[in-house]
Amino acid sequence: MNLREIGILYRHELRSALRERTIVVNGILIPIFMYPLLLWGMFTAVTFVQGLNDGFASRIVVDGQLPAMHSELRDSLQALPAVDVVDDVDDPRAAVAEGRIDAIVTLRPTDDETAALPGNFRVDIAYDRAETRSADARARVEALVSRWRSRWLADLGDDLGLDAAERGVFVVAREDVSTARDFTNVLLGYLLSTFLIMMVAIGCFLPAIDTTAGERERSTWETLMTVGANRGSVVLAKYLYVATLGIVAGALNVIALMVSIGAVLGPLLGESGASLDVALTPRAALVMIGGAVLLAMTFGAAMMVFASFARSFKDGQAMVTPVIWLAVLPILVGGEPSDVNLSTSSATVPILNISLMIRDAIRGFFVWDAIAVTLVVSLGLVAVLLFLARRVLSFEEFLTGSFDGSFWRFAKQRLFARRSLSDPRPTAR
Amino acid sequence: MTTPLHTPAVLVDDLRKSFFEEERGEVPAVDGISFEARPGEVFGLLGANGAGKTTTLRMLSTVLRPTSGSATVMGHDVVTESEKVRQSLGFYSASTALYPRLTARETLEFFARINGYPPSRVPARVDELVDRFGIREYEHGRVEKLSSGMKQKVSIARTIAHDPPVLIFDEPTVGLDVMNAIEMVKVISELKADGKAVLYSSHIMSEVEKLCDRIGILHRGRLLALGTLDELREATGEHYLEDIFVRFVTDESGAAGALPGAFGELESDAS
Repeated sequence: MNLREIGILYRHELRSALRERTIVVNGILIPIFMYPLLLWGMFTAVTFVQGLNDGFASRIVVDGQLPAMHSELRDSLQALPAVDVVDDVDDPRAAVAEGRIDAIVTLRPTDDETAALPGNFRVDIAYDRAETRSADARARVEALVSRWRSRWLADLGDDLGLDAAERGVFVVAREDVSTARDFTNVLLGYLLSTFLIMMVAIGCFLPAIDTTAGERERSTWETLMTVGANRGSVVLAKYLYVATLGIVAGALNVIALMVSIGAVLGPLLGESGASLDVALTPRAALVMIGGAVLLAMTFGAAMMVFASFARSFKDGQAMVTPVIWLAVLPILVGGEPSDVNLSTSSATVPILNISLMIRDAIRGFFVWDAIAVTLVVSLGLVAVLLFLARRVLSFEEFLTGSFDGSFWRFAKQRLFARRSLSDPRPTAR
Repeated sequence: MTTPLHTPAVLVDDLRKSFFEEERGEVPAVDGISFEARPGEVFGLLGANGAGKTTTLRMLSTVLRPTSGSATVMGHDVVTESEKVRQSLGFYSASTALYPRLTARETLEFFARINGYPPSRVPARVDELVDRFGIREYEHGRVEKLSSGMKQKVSIARTIAHDPPVLIFDEPTVGLDVMNAIEMVKVISELKADGKAVLYSSHIMSEVEKLCDRIGILHRGRLLALGTLDELREATGEHYLEDIFVRFVTDESGAAGALPGAFGELESDAS
């Protein structure tokens, strides 16, 4: 390998890629605009749906009678602006199931040991849990009955000579000791550890295909194989180019999140009383950058190996997509529960280890021996993948593009076969 | 970057290449061929499709590794000194396309640099090529926007961007229209005049007849005959290359025997 050659080939790859619209959009524009648009869209949609539901009146059928002393409850229910009491409904249960009404409220005397209490009654609510509007109707009726109960008990207390202070015993008080920064870091840790992986993977995806399968499709592969450069330099330059675009996508993603989480999410969360304080310690930022670089290095190498078996861009997409799913799987399986932290054992699982390392760092936890294991495991995997990429390129069928199969077929027929279909000796040097 | 006259730029000795196929077993694609190409000479490999021309040229360009035998380019062994071999030659074929997103100028700069042309002289070399091939007007246009004729010019220019002493043209006129094919033949003649050793493969008799100083007739991986056109005419008694070719190919088993001494004499002449 030769640094001069690597430099020439690397610049050549980058220049070519930056003129390809799909690569620029996926590697640069999406990472920049994804968070602001995603967060804005998500919270706007939630707010909109909530607003719509709040604006709907609950259609309720009321059945049965209340004791005389509680007859006002029925009037209160009918007086609620968010409740519309509906009469003359045939088969109310079917109407709930079909969504024509939202709940059936049945008022009846109790039939248990509390039946002897004067004026006691019970309220049965039939609703459809699967329907938001029906669930809202249940909540509205429950809230009204609860308020009625409190008022009734207060009146009883007054009759017994208990004042408000005497009735207000066994108070539960809550105090959140976390700061706005703690809350923000939990949010950042969750979002970044998940989306950074996706963004780096997307950043590597098209370049890895473009530089391998794309070369074959454009018939520039053989052109490149006949230039006077060492083929190890060719592999390394292509790899560095893919990893660079992955790192760029990751870095832009982080910057976009840091900017947008305060600007977009802050005001939206502010309405619910929560606040955000976006700030990262230099140490956390360093670990995060290191994590993004490791992710790009791993994805770049893995995707190049798989994509190099494709003959066209379309084939390449089909062959590389499973790499993304393989990468996301550990996160889905084990990355989410907040009590899973980076340890020397979880650090042995590729990708998951980087995800946990980033999340822990953002939250202020640094388990250095586990971080060291993460580094060793990730770099070891990259080394194996690059060796494989170089090995693949040493088979002349790849130089001429005559091999027709996937990585798995290659592994079976070439790497682990006793007899090569072609010359068993590697060609390229 | 030329060698003294009569010193072979390309030397091929008993070169063989076989592929293993599951159904057919070991299949020889090139079966013990020997030839040489000298500076200032166009050496033609004439053969039908599947004769072994491309396999031979790919071995010389180090894309394929010979099963046995040896070959050198400018004294560099194709197996042990593959990088030096590739730096010493320019390879052009229908399957060596250009990078569509680069401009014509960037393309020439890239190929000059990556093939080891002295960096300080690259701009001047590119200017020289741009003028020589008449692509000044389009030098900053992306390759993907160029006409097929312009692409062909850029493609030839990139092949010789590093001024290699050996040039390989594998079926270079395939897919070209008549005018572009004529232009190609003209350029190759100029390269010969520049002292380059040119290996030219084709199945188009008229081109080979017009261009090549010496011709090797390749069939089923074997070199059936080798010599100048006049020598081949004399050996076969036929005038047209097409007839000469048919004569050798249809009588493959007895061709050499029917023309006793032809091979030996021609080979000794060539050395």
